[in-house]
Amino acid sequence: MSIEAPVAPTTLPMLQVDGFSKRFGEVQANSDVRFDVHAGEVHALVGENGAGKSTLLKMVYGVYEPDEGRMLIDGEPVALGSPAAARSRGVGMVFQDLRLVPAFTVTENIALAANPGPVLRLKDLAAEIAEASARHGLAVHPNARVRHLSIGERQRVEILKVLMTGARLIILDEPTSVLAPQEVDALFAVVRQLTEAGFGIVIVTHKLGEVRAIADRVTVLRAGRTVLHGVDPDDYDDEQLIEAMVGRAVPALPAERGPVPPSDVPALELTGVSSRGDRGHEALTDISLRVQPGELVGIAGVAGSGQRELCEVALGLRPTTSGEVRIGGASVDSARDAIGAGAASVPEDPVADSVVRRLTVLEHMGLDGRRIPARGLGVDWAAVRARMTDADARLGLRIAPAKRRLSELSGGNIQRVILTRELALDSSLVVAAYPSRGLDVANARRTQEVLLERRAAGSGVLMVSEDLDELMALADRIVVMHDGHVSGEVLAADFDRQAIGRLMVGGTS
Amino acid sequence: MTTLLDPTPSLVEPGERPDRRAAALRATGRWAAAIGGALVIFSALLLLRGANPLEALGDMWVSTFLRGRSLAEILNVMAPITLAALAVLVPARAGLTNVGGEGQLMLGAIAAGGTALALDQQLPGPLVLVLALVAGGVAGAAWAGVAAILRLRFQVDEAVSTLLLNFIALDLLLFLIYQPWRESAAGQPTTRELADAAKMPVITGTVINVGIIVALAATVVVILVLGRTRWGFRLSVVGGNAEAARRAGMNVAGLVISALIVGGLLAGLAGAIQFTGIEYKLRAGFGLQIGYLGFLASWLARHRPLPVLLASFVLAALAIAGDSLQLDAQLPAASVNILTALILAAVLGWTTVKARRA
Repeated sequence: MSIEAPVAPTTLPMLQVDGFSKRFGEVQANSDVRFDVHAGEVHALVGENGAGKSTLLKMVYGVYEPDEGRMLIDGEPVALGSPAAARSRGVGMVFQDLRLVPAFTVTENIALAANPGPVLRLKDLAAEIAEASARHGLAVHPNARVRHLSIGERQRVEILKVLMTGARLIILDEPTSVLAPQEVDALFAVVRQLTEAGFGIVIVTHKLGEVRAIADRVTVLRAGRTVLHGVDPDDYDDEQLIEAMVGRAVPALPAERGPVPPSDVPALELTGVSSRGDRGHEALTDISLRVQPGELVGIAGVAGSGQRELCEVALGLRPTTSGEVRIGGASVDSARDAIGAGAASVPEDPVADSVVRRLTVLEHMGLDGRRIPARGLGVDWAAVRARMTDADARLGLRIAPAKRRLSELSGGNIQRVILTRELALDSSLVVAAYPSRGLDVANARRTQEVLLERRAAGSGVLMVSEDLDELMALADRIVVMHDGHVSGEVLAADFDRQAIGRLMVGGTS
Repeated sequence: MTTLLDPTPSLVEPGERPDRRAAALRATGRWAAAIGGALVIFSALLLLRGANPLEALGDMWVSTFLRGRSLAEILNVMAPITLAALAVLVPARAGLTNVGGEGQLMLGAIAAGGTALALDQQLPGPLVLVLALVAGGVAGAAWAGVAAILRLRFQVDEAVSTLLLNFIALDLLLFLIYQPWRESAAGQPTTRELADAAKMPVITGTVINVGIIVALAATVVVILVLGRTRWGFRLSVVGGNAEAARRAGMNVAGLVISALIVGGLLAGLAGAIQFTGIEYKLRAGFGLQIGYLGFLASWLARHRPLPVLLASFVLAALAIAGDSLQLDAQLPAASVNILTALILAAVLGWTTVKARRA
């Protein structure tokens, strides 16, 4: 780690949160939370989903009012009623989902946020932007159209936007979740430059590697309480930090796993497959890929490199324009072919692709693609329930009660329902897109174990993830995609972040 | 929130606590307020026309609900409206918008009429009646099937195709009564009247015909089929998220076709009942607007079968009230359409607001 600006506890913090409490109905989202940020430091805020991070930040940013507690900016108590008030006090926020208008230029987007009054002086603003971006090492061209920018560049525009509105304290909400490794490095370089210039940075993350790479101090929230407050991450090892987040020790993944058994018939085989995306563009070009039974193949790539289309083609959900897809040797042209050949799948966006909001957990358990258990003309719900209980007991992801409608569940709970249904199947192939997305540390770990169990049971597993560490921990082989092509392939013995990162942006390893 | 040691996952989202009884009370209140508001606006319109609104509304109430035979009339009118509403409700379960109840009903009436008028001199009346009902249902189903094929083959939205098919059905009816099926003696273009033996019987001691029993039975069947069968379950998956249905390996196209066809069958049955139980002859203006009233009833009931019965009853009562308005207050019968429209707008407006909040 690097400390550009030494932490000086004697100086007044830019921001000090004193015992914030917030209750939503029966949920105590924050209780007596303490948090502070000094000028020139990076303070990481970590915790599981639902630990209260976003509630805390929304109170800091003026979206919610705390029930109890007070907040000081530069030692002076403030009550922020709105984000506008927060901005006027120098607090800025970069949201996880970037909020830019793609058809506008960088300058126009910033003009929207900077609220320059009735007359737009875009030229003056563009000059200011060029000056600010040069000063902070942001490398953003004011006249570029946002839709032509990469995700990393768009994020820099967001940071610039926050800077231009006069922020001195910048909150970055899970900024790395959408970035390739190189872009993460570039972002961290920007963050270091900002702290050197005296800005205070809050970075929300759940990746310990990032805490160690960038943070001067770390605060851990669990169940709405401050478990560790502003400690130096170097004083704690990973197990201790995870235990602070989770409340108990989480076992490490088994390091030893058997070799991939030789097999004549691959679990999944794509031969020269091309396919179109939803907008009619060529989303996959000449993809050839094999997953053996008992092998876990990871797919790495910058978001939108064709991962979604690859999964859909493999599952017979998207027509190919050329090439052939086989599961266990059987040709696949439709979802029913794929299911018939023994495929199970965890979709990239379960809410859009697998969830019927007004149906219950139990009813979703009947939608695993297998024949619905029959009783006369009706559904044998007792059989479905037995299946569900058995699956839940075997997988241990503790799904929500059978009668709950999916519309009442949070993203993580929905994910656990879908994971339990699909990974409990006796499948020959598992296609899992971002399986641990939205899960807390313990459930994410359990999901990874289950994927390894499927592999050990002889399923071929194709897994897409945005978390390179996760892929390197699980995969026998990582296939890297770039712009609809396979740009390279790396075996477990040769895993190397930088090499994979270069392939992700279209270079060679 | 949840820790790992917590045995049950935390599910309560902030500010969410379902309370069914309070929700039902609120819904009733909304309906009452909507109907009350509509009545106030309607009274203002009556005043503008120089009528005494209290008197006119009082007359409507008396002649609609308190006169001897009027309840029976409402139930007779309600039967085809209920079936036409179910014809919207079943496809809606699969996420489809069937605006074609009017045309499917017309085809059902044509088939029922053609069958019954061809056979009522040769076969025993009850048999003719049953054949007419079957023919009506089949014809309505076939007419909806046209829209289903258009959707699957050419991606024509079923809301558009079913609506346009209504006009074709109407022209087909007019052609038949002006030309081949016209009773030459009559001045108005109509078919001859159905033989008494083949008319739908009335419930003993009343003037209520058996149509309402068919409609109630159909409602029960729809409740059971949608709620208890695998087909009904699959329809609700397709209607809730067609992509989820596809990924679960369901035959989405087959389910869409079958839902539309069952809808058409119910509308066709409505036409057959309108013919054999109420009008007895095909004429210009036959069964006019029943398909659309059914559409409104289903939407008012948010596509739920039991509330459809209530909505159909209210719409039938309003239709009867319109006649009394014409007779008692010397206002055009169409005036009541204004009241109907006001109530619909108010109820739909308010329930939609609620749905958006929920």
